Amino acid sequence: MKQDDAHISWVEPPKLGLSGRMYLPLLAQGLTTTARHLFSQKVTTQFPEQRPEIGNPLIYRGVHRLNKDAGGRVKCVACFLCATACPAHCIDIIGTESPWDDREKYPESFTIDELRCIYCGMCEEACPVDAIELTSMFDLTGRSREEMIFDKEKLLSVYDQTKDAEPSRSQRAASEGATT
Amino acid sequence: MLLEALIKIAILIGGLMTAAAYLVLVERWMAAWIQGRIGPNRVGVPLTRIRLFGLGQPIADGLKFILKEEYVPAHVDKWLYYLAPMAILTAALAAFAVIPFGSVLPPDVSFPGGEEPIQLVVAPGIDVGMLYVFALSSMAIYGVTLGGWASNNKYSFLGGLRSSAQLIAYEIPLGLGILGVVLMTGSLRLEEIIGAQAQSGLWFAFSQPLGLLVFSVAACAEAGRLPFDLPEAEQELVGGYHTEYAGMKLMMYLVGEFLHMITAAFLIVILFFGGWHLWGVTGSSNDVNWFQAIARILVLVTKILLVVLLFMLVRWSWPRFRFDQLMALAWKVMLPLGLVHLFTMAVLSEYAERWAGGAAPWVIVGVGWLVAVAACLVAGTLTAVSTGNQAIRE
Amino acid sequence: MNDTPASDAAVSAVEATAQTFDRGDVGWIAVAVVTGTLGLWLLLPPSGAKRRLSGMVLMIAALAVLGAARLIPVGDWGYDAMYAVLSGLTVVAAVSTVTFRNPVYCAIWFALTLLGIAGLFLIDGAQFLGVAIVVVYAGAILVMFLFVLMLANPSGRAAYDRLSWEPWIAAPVGVLLVAIVTLTYHQAFDTGDTAPLPSASTEALADGVLANQHVARLGNQLFGRYLVDVEVAGVLLLVALVAASAIVAAAPGEPNNSKRAARGERP
Repeated sequence: MKQDDAHISWVEPPKLGLSGRMYLPLLAQGLTTTARHLFSQKVTTQFPEQRPEIGNPLIYRGVHRLNKDAGGRVKCVACFLCATACPAHCIDIIGTESPWDDREKYPESFTIDELRCIYCGMCEEACPVDAIELTSMFDLTGRSREEMIFDKEKLLSVYDQTKDAEPSRSQRAASEGATT
Repeated sequence: MLLEALIKIAILIGGLMTAAAYLVLVERWMAAWIQGRIGPNRVGVPLTRIRLFGLGQPIADGLKFILKEEYVPAHVDKWLYYLAPMAILTAALAAFAVIPFGSVLPPDVSFPGGEEPIQLVVAPGIDVGMLYVFALSSMAIYGVTLGGWASNNKYSFLGGLRSSAQLIAYEIPLGLGILGVVLMTGSLRLEEIIGAQAQSGLWFAFSQPLGLLVFSVAACAEAGRLPFDLPEAEQELVGGYHTEYAGMKLMMYLVGEFLHMITAAFLIVILFFGGWHLWGVTGSSNDVNWFQAIARILVLVTKILLVVLLFMLVRWSWPRFRFDQLMALAWKVMLPLGLVHLFTMAVLSEYAERWAGGAAPWVIVGVGWLVAVAACLVAGTLTAVSTGNQAIRE
Repeated sequence: MNDTPASDAAVSAVEATAQTFDRGDVGWIAVAVVTGTLGLWLLLPPSGAKRRLSGMVLMIAALAVLGAARLIPVGDWGYDAMYAVLSGLTVVAAVSTVTFRNPVYCAIWFALTLLGIAGLFLIDGAQFLGVAIVVVYAGAILVMFLFVLMLANPSGRAAYDRLSWEPWIAAPVGVLLVAIVTLTYHQAFDTGDTAPLPSASTEALADGVLANQHVARLGNQLFGRYLVDVEVAGVLLLVALVAASAIVAAAPGEPNNSKRAARGERP
């Protein structure tokens, strides 16, 4: 692109007044601004004593959970849609024939590598049976990489921990249907 | 005599190192408060839950520096790489040999050698005191330049080059800024400069505002503080001249920089704000009682702390200069202002007494302020440092 | 190698200089000068590790001979020790300045030489000179050198860094200079007996040089008695400054734009 291109519009910088050219008044103005902020309200949250407030836990993307149905069985039908949708390839499912009559398959093992996961929520979008969901748990820590690979039991236990605070999508739909 | 000097050195170095460590904490607090955060407040007494507002943070920082791996990159020039941080810390500490950290202690015969009043300066009676401080601050350039060169890294090298150019440029306004004070007191000794202000009760900040302006800008640039921290501009040069340093060697650099700021604060207070003098509290003669002696130390420390706090406030308020602006400020603004100041003070010190007699101090104050405002106006009208911001069209 | 003309000339020059001293002195001085010359020549580039080592040994021997034969105690032991350390440091740093191959190292050694000289001034009570030499030479001029050297070929591999010019003239002249200065020092303080002298570091210092008004006196001298000299020097420096700016301003081949930008103009 040439410098005299008609598409370039040259913007003139604003002309400085005398006080701007003398610097000192403007510098003093800058100092008063920062000095005012010295005594302003602080916004720091003192984690872990003070938990941050999560705006809407239902749309927060934290640790995954595997939902259970009313009978306490895992809802997942091992359709692999979440593993296919996952951009980080962190979901590993081994599906096998279901022992129950109402579905053909169920996951024999279901592991998510929480360190590879990028918490995009695509698995939740992809799931046809609302089995996998992202909770609002965000302070996920572990002492080893192995510990951070969540298997089926752990994912189900996350559901047990969070089901009261964050009902699953189908539960919400059911309760909404009941009230209206 | 020797013992006295050693005790003073121990007190001074201990005090300075502690002060540098805790000023780092204060600086982090200031940064946090200005940005609406709380700042370090966790580290307190080790192994307990007592937090003490984070006062243990400097100890933790120091421990971390000590325990870091003593890493030396393979491509560096070993000798100079090791020499540079030592040079900068030595120069920064040695400057305090002539800087008074109080006035005098009253004579006390209860211990040997206490018959004479004790001067609170490591090397009393150095007649070239001010020049000695300048000499050592100019030696500090070596630490920066050599560190940048020996690191064998482009960013370090650029930082070192920038630093040496900047320090040389700002040494001249630094010298011009103090010359007014030296003319008025007729001495380069810092004790005498304080003494002169205490005697007259008129701090030089009131009579020489232009000198104060030139000197504090130059001192800020010499200390490499924002808005003059081009040698280590993070956004452009990674870490500047100490990019390749880690562990204790990095700490020597950082402490050296902080000591430069403390030196600058000491000099500003001593030269322009009366040092230990405060009207009605500290007295002005060299015969002191214990109350006055302690009060003088406290007054001096308080003043220095205020100046350091101002430096910190400045750091988080103003943006950094561009290099050509920096040089233009030194050579086109500060140098002429310093010369105008020197000329004014030379004329006043020679003729004010003769013309005005008893009213001489008031004449000096009036003319000083008049010249300062006029010079700033003229400088603002003639030279705008901020020009050259426009994009250049072919 | 002692029969080379330069070294002969050196010896005869020492003899001429040392006419006023007793013959024993001249012998020692001659030994020191010959050893020192040889050592310095061996140290000068181009030199390998072996040559450097033998050169170092010879130089140390020469300094030891000079020091042991010529330096008599002049003050208290503290002063003497300081003097010995500082002068030794100065000479070693000076030799290193001319013998090191890497120009940056040379500059650092030169800075150390200046610091040593400043220290010598300080212990003799010439505070202003001592500090001024650090501010002016080490603090400003040498930093400027370093600035340029760092941008030039830095590792000392250039041809001009690996050769020394006229080592057979330079080496003896340098060593001779040190020897003559030592001799002069000796002459100034030699009172014939070996008792410590009433030194410059006590009486003279107390009397004037170290007095409170040291700088004020110096200023009075400079701007009273030597006013014309100071002004001539000042005018010379000003002329040099103006000339330098004129040369820079008229530098050919500079693109117009950067010049305009430097003036803050718009094209």
